[in-house]
Amino acid sequence: MTTLLASTKDAPPRPRVARLLERLADPSERVQAILLLAPAALLLGLIVVYPIAKLVYNSFFDLRLSGGQRAPFVAFDNYQSALTDSQFWNALWNTALFTIITVIGALIIGLALALLANLPFRRKWPVRLALLLPWAMPLAFAGLIFAWFFNTDYGVVNDWLMRIGLAPRQWLLSPGTAFAAVCIAIIWKSSSFIGLILLAGLQMIPRSLYEAAEVDGATRFQQFREITLPLLAPSMIVALIFRTITALQTFDIPYTMTKGGPARATETLAMLIHSTTIDYGDIGYGSTLAVLMFIVSMAVTALYLRRIQRD
Amino acid sequence: MAAVKGDALFTPERLRLIAAAIVVLNGFFPAAWILLTSFKPEVELVQKPITYLPHDFTLQNYVQVFRQQPLALYIANSAIVAAASTVLTLTVSACAAYAIARLRLRYRDLILSAIIASSTFPLVTLLVPIFETMRALGILNTYPALVLPYVVLSLPVCTLVLVSFFQSIPRDLENAAMIDGATRFGALWRVVIPLAAPGVFTAGILAFVNSWDEFLLALSLNSAVRMRTLPVGVALYQGEFTFPWHIISAALIVAIVPIAVLIALFQERVVGGLTAGGMKG
Repeated sequence: MTTLLASTKDAPPRPRVARLLERLADPSERVQAILLLAPAALLLGLIVVYPIAKLVYNSFFDLRLSGGQRAPFVAFDNYQSALTDSQFWNALWNTALFTIITVIGALIIGLALALLANLPFRRKWPVRLALLLPWAMPLAFAGLIFAWFFNTDYGVVNDWLMRIGLAPRQWLLSPGTAFAAVCIAIIWKSSSFIGLILLAGLQMIPRSLYEAAEVDGATRFQQFREITLPLLAPSMIVALIFRTITALQTFDIPYTMTKGGPARATETLAMLIHSTTIDYGDIGYGSTLAVLMFIVSMAVTALYLRRIQRD
Repeated sequence: MAAVKGDALFTPERLRLIAAAIVVLNGFFPAAWILLTSFKPEVELVQKPITYLPHDFTLQNYVQVFRQQPLALYIANSAIVAAASTVLTLTVSACAAYAIARLRLRYRDLILSAIIASSTFPLVTLLVPIFETMRALGILNTYPALVLPYVVLSLPVCTLVLVSFFQSIPRDLENAAMIDGATRFGALWRVVIPLAAPGVFTAGILAFVNSWDEFLLALSLNSAVRMRTLPVGVALYQGEFTFPWHIISAALIVAIVPIAVLIALFQERVVGGLTAGGMKG
């Protein structure tokens, strides 16, 4: 090492070109860092940053005419039509309701799954795989499978209802039950991810705390309330944020289960944006809807982040 | 003996078994039900009362699904897109993660937060401009149209996983390699990446599953039949009169098996990666 340093120190000064070449061959740490971060920055620019800018820009134009003419600038017209568009409010309401119901539902079921899976089993893999499979399955497939479950004539859910003496229902054919069925599918699909996160959280709680509580004569329920829940809170908040962000984007499951029907009862904002832009080609109005949704979801994220910082 | 027998209904052993059964049933029932459905002939699916185990066991649905629908093509499309985006995601996120974990960087925390924050952007709101960008680039209905956004989709979690793995590798090893004459990139490729192999692997599985499962972009950007990925292809199967559940169920099983095998083989890695990504985010 010393000889290496000594040799560079003793070297005679070289011409500028040689030094430049040398720098190119062995760039400084700063240049290296920039080079290494460049691909990620480039992709984020192309797929996230530029689209956001383009989205906001588009939302001020009437882009229904796809001919050679320049699209007319319409200022806030698109926003005005959105605020008076019953389809928009319907989709917003459905999205909010889906989010609230499925986030709470998935959190409760996920917690239950995590508590059950945390018991000391001799073989751990069947339980772990049972938590991983719903997570790994495409949402679209979960939607298809639950559509088959809730099939009016040949679905297994109606078979169960009849076996316990209840009347079968036209699950996906009437608004209220279709909404409930979609919620159940989403909760099933998303609770396993929450279960995995909470299971990891449970495993980090030191056993000694429970042992101490037992010595003090605390009941199981007291242990759960005084030790498990508070120490699990950070994991729960993380799971809640992730789940809420994805719930706001709900698309795949209602799309494959009900196509948003019946009578738009299960249509979400994401589905409205998709049909407005991709199916009907109304890019300007679709962009406006997307901007509104973007604002809603960023507000939710910010709310959560503030909550975390306070804790 | 008698006293023991009285308590025996709810021994801890049995309670554990019940708990395991609940979790396993919850996780496996939907897939198991579709598996049973896929072995039933079409007529058995439309009779009442419904059957649970197949009366007339058949593999005909699996033959039909490959004959009537271009399922093999969908599988190939999904595999190509998922493999390409996994390799690209790993390359891009390994570079970024190395810079964040190792190099002197002025806005290290800010850069890391920006990458994480990008994962909270609702992708669906960017659907329109991404669609326009791909149309402008003339790559709608090609593999790159999906590969590029999928890299961005998995970039945050993969970068997080890799940063924590890179930080766990002793600096001395790289320094030794560089003193022996390796450049920094050489040290990254020959020393750091091999040592971080478990992390690279975990990140790779997460990226693969993300791409394999994605639906909305695949549906919107690559709508041509020959370019459909598995979830889109299967979801858009059309029957003549009704939804062909016998075919769909066989297709679902064919599509779920690869991903189920993958996660079954590498369970601990996947769980580790998910929770590492989740905890830090």
